[in-house]
Amino acid sequence: MRNLRWLAAIVVADGLVIASLVALGRPVEATGLVGITAMVIGVLLGIAVIRWALGGATGVVGVARAVVEEAVRMRGTLVLVLLLVVAIPSLPLLLDHSERLAYRMQFLLTWSLGATGLILSLLTIILACSSIGGDIESGRIQMTLVKPIHRGEYLVGKWLGIILFNLLMVALAGIGTATFVRLLAATEATDARDRTAVDHQVLAARVAVEPTPGNPGEVEAAITEAIRRVEEDAPEAFAANPDAARRRIRHEYTWQWHTVTPDTTSIFVFSGLEAVRESVGKGGTVQLELKPRADNVDIDLADVRFAMWLNDRPWPMVGGDHQEQTLSTLAVHVLDLPADAIDDDGVLRVTIANRNLVPAGETHPTAITFSPGEGMRLLWRAGGFAGNFVRGLVVMWIKLTMVAAVAVAAGACLDIPLAILASLVVYATAVGSGFFRDALGLYNMVSSTIGGAIAERVGRTMIMLLEGRWYEAFRMLFGLVTDVALWLTPAFSDFDAVGRIASGMLIPGSDLVACLWRIGLAYPLIIGLIGWAVFERRDLIRSST
Amino acid sequence: MIAGETAREPEAVDAAAGIDIKCVGLTKTFRDFWLRPRVRAVEGIDLEVRRGQIYGLLGPNGSGKSTTIKMILGLVTPTSGRIAVLGRRPRDVASKQRIGYLPEESYLYRFLSARETLDYYGRLFRLPSRVRRERIDRLLEMVGLDAVGHRPVGEFSKGMQRRVGLAQSLINDPQLLILDEPTSGMDPVGARQIKDVIADLGRRGKTVLLCTHQLSDVEDLCDRVAIMFGGRVRAEGTCDELLVQEDRTTIRSDTLPAEVVAEVRDLLARRGIGHIDVERPRRRLESLFLEIVERARAEGVQTSGAKAGGSVAEFLKGPEATDQAAVVGRDDTTRPASAPDSTSGGVDSNLIESLTRRQP
Ligand SMILES: Nc1ncnc2c1ncn2[C@@H]1O[C@H](COP(=O)(O)OP(=O)(O)O)[C@@H](O)[C@H]1O
Ligand SMILES: [Mg+2]
Repeated sequence: MRNLRWLAAIVVADGLVIASLVALGRPVEATGLVGITAMVIGVLLGIAVIRWALGGATGVVGVARAVVEEAVRMRGTLVLVLLLVVAIPSLPLLLDHSERLAYRMQFLLTWSLGATGLILSLLTIILACSSIGGDIESGRIQMTLVKPIHRGEYLVGKWLGIILFNLLMVALAGIGTATFVRLLAATEATDARDRTAVDHQVLAARVAVEPTPGNPGEVEAAITEAIRRVEEDAPEAFAANPDAARRRIRHEYTWQWHTVTPDTTSIFVFSGLEAVRESVGKGGTVQLELKPRADNVDIDLADVRFAMWLNDRPWPMVGGDHQEQTLSTLAVHVLDLPADAIDDDGVLRVTIANRNLVPAGETHPTAITFSPGEGMRLLWRAGGFAGNFVRGLVVMWIKLTMVAAVAVAAGACLDIPLAILASLVVYATAVGSGFFRDALGLYNMVSSTIGGAIAERVGRTMIMLLEGRWYEAFRMLFGLVTDVALWLTPAFSDFDAVGRIASGMLIPGSDLVACLWRIGLAYPLIIGLIGWAVFERRDLIRSST
Repeated sequence: MIAGETAREPEAVDAAAGIDIKCVGLTKTFRDFWLRPRVRAVEGIDLEVRRGQIYGLLGPNGSGKSTTIKMILGLVTPTSGRIAVLGRRPRDVASKQRIGYLPEESYLYRFLSARETLDYYGRLFRLPSRVRRERIDRLLEMVGLDAVGHRPVGEFSKGMQRRVGLAQSLINDPQLLILDEPTSGMDPVGARQIKDVIADLGRRGKTVLLCTHQLSDVEDLCDRVAIMFGGRVRAEGTCDELLVQEDRTTIRSDTLPAEVVAEVRDLLARRGIGHIDVERPRRRLESLFLEIVERARAEGVQTSGAKAGGSVAEFLKGPEATDQAAVVGRDDTTRPASAPDSTSGGVDSNLIESLTRRQP
């Protein structure tokens, strides 16, 4: 009764503030407050729905229900819920209106979804660890586990409650983010190109392919030849780690064929595009994304000049003339190419001729590099924004179910602070694992297989210990730990939902399945079983009785 | 109460099915973080609690009573020794359907109301919502919390939380009730009432393991008592066996005039009995307190705390009547019954046997 009166007072006050903000001509702030109100109502309604859905009378469901109640009652988690509920509607206030609209939308998507993932991961860890740890520390678990419920069911109940709560929060955050992005998209764009970018590069689900060399045989032969030569001339380079040496040579040559030297012509081939012409439609376009680099450091910020042919036909033709392209370096350019240029075999060959002039004070013109991976991609629209956005939310939720499994397992084995710490370490490894693999990969992985790496490192550590090189031995052991940790923890970046949604890239169904299997099922199952095995053997009483 | 009477005669019941709790050589050593043995909480205890008994586990603080109980409930793994509860191992989930437990302290979700708390535990027993609602009403009434059932238990006093604890231990109409210091933190009215409830349940054929350091609880209630000290059982037997003082005689009568007392003194002196105490019998403080509270209630004085509580909830039936109780998910072969042959189906008689054999 008292609660109801409070609620009524808050709703009235909230309505008055919103009305006065509108009257004062502050629509963005008013919208934000409406958003906060709507999300609070959403949380309350959602919890009522979960409570109703978990209405059955079984142990698992009973435990799950109690966790959801705890989620909005424990101070630590309540703060995070409120933070999320306030953060998402407030983000639009941080936008810089002098920026291009497409960029502002990407900013909003990245931060809104990124913050959601981070906050909900922290919430999951705190909720799981302190719910289980709290049950044990307070002795509540003694009253629960003398009822007809297995210890495993108890853990599953905790996990179920947490992932259902996460489902609610992800859904609310998703609805909030999508709403604010749509509202933003309806505002005025900087110019026509900006509007095109919004429609075709943000509010889209695109697929990208990278080019292969026009003369693949030659490139491959050159690489083989180079490897043979180095093996002959400098065998010591291969002694330590032949795989790494080969990878380095391949990397060098790959870079080389992505470079168009002055006064020469290179061919970049995109193949397998049979379906694209149909999906894009007659007269439709595909996007060639270019991020050119100049090989001369001094003129990095200058323009590069080149001419282009699509399947040997000059492009673009303006009034019968073959136009040259002048593009600034270190920026991403998107050229809309006619999909009709793709031939019947689904191949599009992009020929690029370097037309750079000799810069002032230089004796040579500049080479143009489209660096591997990001310098040149062909993209086309494969679906709408909404469907892709939902897929992204599903990926986010799957990651949270893994975090929940880790935290439940940790909570089952360790007391609260240690469990939170352990879960945070695993979470950080999963988030950073892609980065670490790239950053440390060439140096850290001494062998291309984990078994080889372990054997190699253990062997070398032994030798170093025998020789008394303690510090090196320690470093080698540390490398072993990171190798194993990285190998054990699935990389969240393998399924980068936020980045893909913000850059209008399709999250393929196959990715969704792989994510569900690796991050949503296999890994949580293993971690969960380990946690359960320890929990079964634990004396469930307070440490100090 | 015929079934109750029969159940309380251990000889009348099959030896295997009639034992609800059996512990043999039970030992628990608590270890510290480095797994070094630290406390020997329980050392080689043998216990046998028969169906329908009210069994007292008596002992000073820290004598190992709670640890023993937690091993019986499967919360703590014994270092050595074996346990059979309702014919099954302590970690067996099936037997938990018929056990009620009140821990030494009431551990509750602070934010749940008394009603929600009982509902939560009712769900764990898979009771359908109609049965839950009915039992919760009855139990709240029984423990005197029906007027405050909607308040979060975090706001309750210790004794009120204790009452919630007692109520939750009875929500499944258990055959075996394990109570760890049930009267601690309770006012005398509540303590008296809990004792009445226990006595009543005993008459209905329930088995009760009562763990306490309050002598009066045991004296008033228990059929058998084990007295623990330092993790070992020091004495075991019926109350009469343990409490009768062979070297004292008490004679009670109505108030005697002085000359009659003198005559009696003379008579006894002639018989060679010199030391005699003559005193007026005093009633116990407990009964005076009860009378005062009773009078206040009769005068309609209100309280925002726990009320005296009503009679024992009627769904807490004797073993023969529970057969009709609407409980889902319960295997008929595992349920308690006064007839030994219908019980033996759910009891791992091998386990009981092997335990019995090992007994010295
Ligand atoms: N979790 C624990 N860790 C270490 N020692 C414990 C633990 N629980 C109980 N003990 C010790 O075991 C002994 C028996 O405790 P307990 O069974 O609670 O006694 P009682 O219930 O008879 O008062 C005590 O000495 C106590 O300190
Ligand atoms: Mg105790």
